[in-house]
This record gives sequence, C-alpha cells and structure tokens, in this order.
Amino acid sequence: MIERELTFRIMRYNPDEPEKKPHLQEFHLTEEPGMSLFVVLNKLREEQDPTLRFDFVCRASICGSCGMLVNGRPTLACKTLTKDLPDVTTLLPLPVFKLLGDLSVDTGVWFRDMSFRTESWVHTDETFDPDAPEKRMDNAVALEIYEAERCIECGCCIGGCATANIKPDFIGAAGVNRVARFMVDPRDKRTEREYFEVVGNEDGVFGCIGLMACDDNCPVGVPLRDQLAYVRRKMASAGWRYQKV
Amino acid sequence: MKLQKALSYSPRADFIVEVIQMVSGLLLVLFLWTHMLFVASILIGSNAFNSLSLFMEKNYLLPAAIVFLVLVGGAHIGAVIRRIPSRWAEQKIVWKHAKLIHHADTWSWLFQSVTGAAILALAIIHIAVVTYGGIDVIYSSGRIKHGFLVFYAVLLLLAEYHASVGLYRIFVKWGWVKRHKLHWVLGVISVLTVGIGATVLWIFFTMGVHA
Repeated sequence: MIERELTFRIMRYNPDEPEKKPHLQEFHLTEEPGMSLFVVLNKLREEQDPTLRFDFVCRASICGSCGMLVNGRPTLACKTLTKDLPDVTTLLPLPVFKLLGDLSVDTGVWFRDMSFRTESWVHTDETFDPDAPEKRMDNAVALEIYEAERCIECGCCIGGCATANIKPDFIGAAGVNRVARFMVDPRDKRTEREYFEVVGNEDGVFGCIGLMACDDNCPVGVPLRDQLAYVRRKMASAGWRYQKV
Repeated sequence: MKLQKALSYSPRADFIVEVIQMVSGLLLVLFLWTHMLFVASILIGSNAFNSLSLFMEKNYLLPAAIVFLVLVGGAHIGAVIRRIPSRWAEQKIVWKHAKLIHHADTWSWLFQSVTGAAILALAIIHIAVVTYGGIDVIYSSGRIKHGFLVFYAVLLLLAEYHASVGLYRIFVKWGWVKRHKLHWVLGVISVLTVGIGATVLWIFFTMGVHA
C-alpha cells in the first residue's frame, strides 16, 4: 500500500484571544494503517502543535466527547477512520454548543439545561423503599427504554440540525429522544398532558421541521426519526384531547 | 415563567398551527393534482377541455376555487411563515449550515421556502391572467404561444417540487412510511405530474402555432 500524505485543515480559535479571528490551519501527516482521527489529532498535538485543542476520553464511541464536523458532517472523530477520508479533510467544531477553543466545545451545559427543561427524571409519588425487592419490568419495555438510553450525548444531532442552529431553545432530537425514554418508562407517572406542556410546543417536538439530519448523522444509530415520530404522535393525541382546566 | 409568557400562555397554539400547516398543505396538493387532471382533459380533445371549462364557469367552480385558494393558501402561508428565518443573520446561518453539512434534506428545505415564495408570486399572476383572460382552448393556447410557455413550465416545476417535498416532509415527520420508499413513490408521482403538465403545455403551444 502506498502511504498517503494527508492534509488536515483544522479550525483554530481561542476565545481568550478574540483579536485573532477563527481560521483554518493546515497540517500534514503520513497515513498509517488503521488510523483514526483520534490518532491523527493526538499525533498532531504531540509532534506539530501542542496548543491544538480537542476533546477525547474513551476513543471508542462511548463517551461522546469527540463530536465534530468532519468535512462538514457531524460525527465522532474516534470512529472516523482516515481510510474513509479524502486526501484533504476539514475539521470544524460542532456548532450550537459553546466553543471552548479549536475543536473543543462544551456540550455539558446544553445537555444539562435540556435535562432540566424536559424534566429528565422519573416522576412518581410512590415512596422509595430501599428494602423492598425491585419491581420487575417487562423485557420488551426495558429494551425500548435502553434503545433511547444508548444516546451518548455527543451533540451530533444538535450540530447538524438547522432548527437548533437558529433556535437556541429548541431541544432537538436528543431532547425529544430523552422524553421518549420517560414516556415508555412505566415508573414515570406523568400524564400525557404534563408531557404536552413540556414538549408539545415549538421548543419541543413541534419545532422539528423534519430534515432528519439528526437521524442521518447519529454516530451510534439511535433511531431518532422513529423517536421523533413517536413523541410527535403522542403529543398530537394529547393536544387533540387537551382541555382547559 | 415570565409575566409576558404567563399572560399570553396558550399551550396548544404551536400544535394547532402545526396542524393548520399540514392540513392546508395537503389540501393544496390535492388541489394541484385535481387541477392537473382537469387541464389534462385537453389530451382527450378540445371539446372535452372546453366543456369542462364551461361546466366550471356555469357552476361557479372558478370563483369557488379562488376563494379556496385565498383561504387555504392564506392559512398555509400564515402557518409556514414562522418556519422561514426572517432575520438576515438567521438566513446567513441556515445557508452556511446547508453548504457545510452536505445533507440533501436540508437543501430541499431551503428550496422549499424559495419555491414557496416564488409560487406565491407566480400563482397570483396565473390566477389574475386566467380570471381576466378566460379559460378556453383558443385563449389558453394563444396565451401559451405568446409568451407564457416558459412562465407555465417554471410554475409547473416549482409547484410540483414544492408539493412533493412538502408531502415527503409530512410523512417523514409523522413516521408513517419508510424514507427511501417514500422517495421512490413521490418521485414517480412527480415525474407523472410534470409529464402530464409538460404534454398539456406542448399541445397548447402547438395549437397556438396553428391558430
């Protein structure tokens, strides 16, 4: 195999030095077998520029910290192999989230805010008895909940979403998927109406305009289109029957 | 909650506007297809076209269609306008975003709003011309021969594109059909509609030449 010389155009920006405008810096390195962007970025930082900023923790698409735009497409850097990339690759940080510098963004604040707004906890008035045996859950239901919980909060669905790019309060596919998880959960005692007041609006599921970039780009393959449609149908039925108190 | 939100709190408003957008869109697609079938009566012959047009005139179906378009079209515009980024800064963001992420369905949304605006302008002209010019084989073919061919070809393509993408979006959002199957079905319908429309235009154009 002839070794390729790869070019990476990486966005450089430091919020602490606002006088330097964001720009693309070119890096070159030789491709190696089995090389991922995780390897590329670490090599660049070690050998060429120690000031390059990016996030990685698990390098195995579990932690969700390396979401970025690879040639414009939101995806995880750790699961992107250089053999699937052209000779020149542009790397940009994910939009929507707060830019910390270069390729590093803060997804945590966004996701925490979304969790609060969607009230992402089991709502129940049952008192918890630590000594009682845990109630069994139907396997099919448990699997359905698990499907939604596979979300690693990388933010690719949010960065790729046109609506999220212009509407800061839109909870996006990650938020709607989160709500779907609690809707399925039999322990959550929220009524349809209560869910409707949280997500039955423009900041929630009715803000979605159906471009499905979230579904097309989710790096872990959460069925976001199905989740969006599921919540939309539930909320439509709640909206239809909604009565003024 | 802030006071201004508490005072104007209407939890169902967003849902209702969403329903208006969808229902009015579906009605307009239905109208478009019926319209295409009606003009396709020229394929049977001039008599078929003229008698259909006469029948519609006698039964006040033309003013009814205009009232329908003003009401349903107006509702549709009122509902979709909230989706179109109105500020310059937002417009810049969405176009840059579409160029950046290389995603076909994101592009089709931008084209949807552009075609929607264009259809509004062209449809007003079309309705005005038809209302004042009348519908009849000789009038219609004369119009198409003398300058309106390109106008109608553009309107046909824009309307079919807008309708097809709009239908696609509805089905995708509510999750009723698989996406690639949907692409295929809508593609076939679009080709058929544009095919019928183009044939009709061509027939009128050649008629106008001979007249």
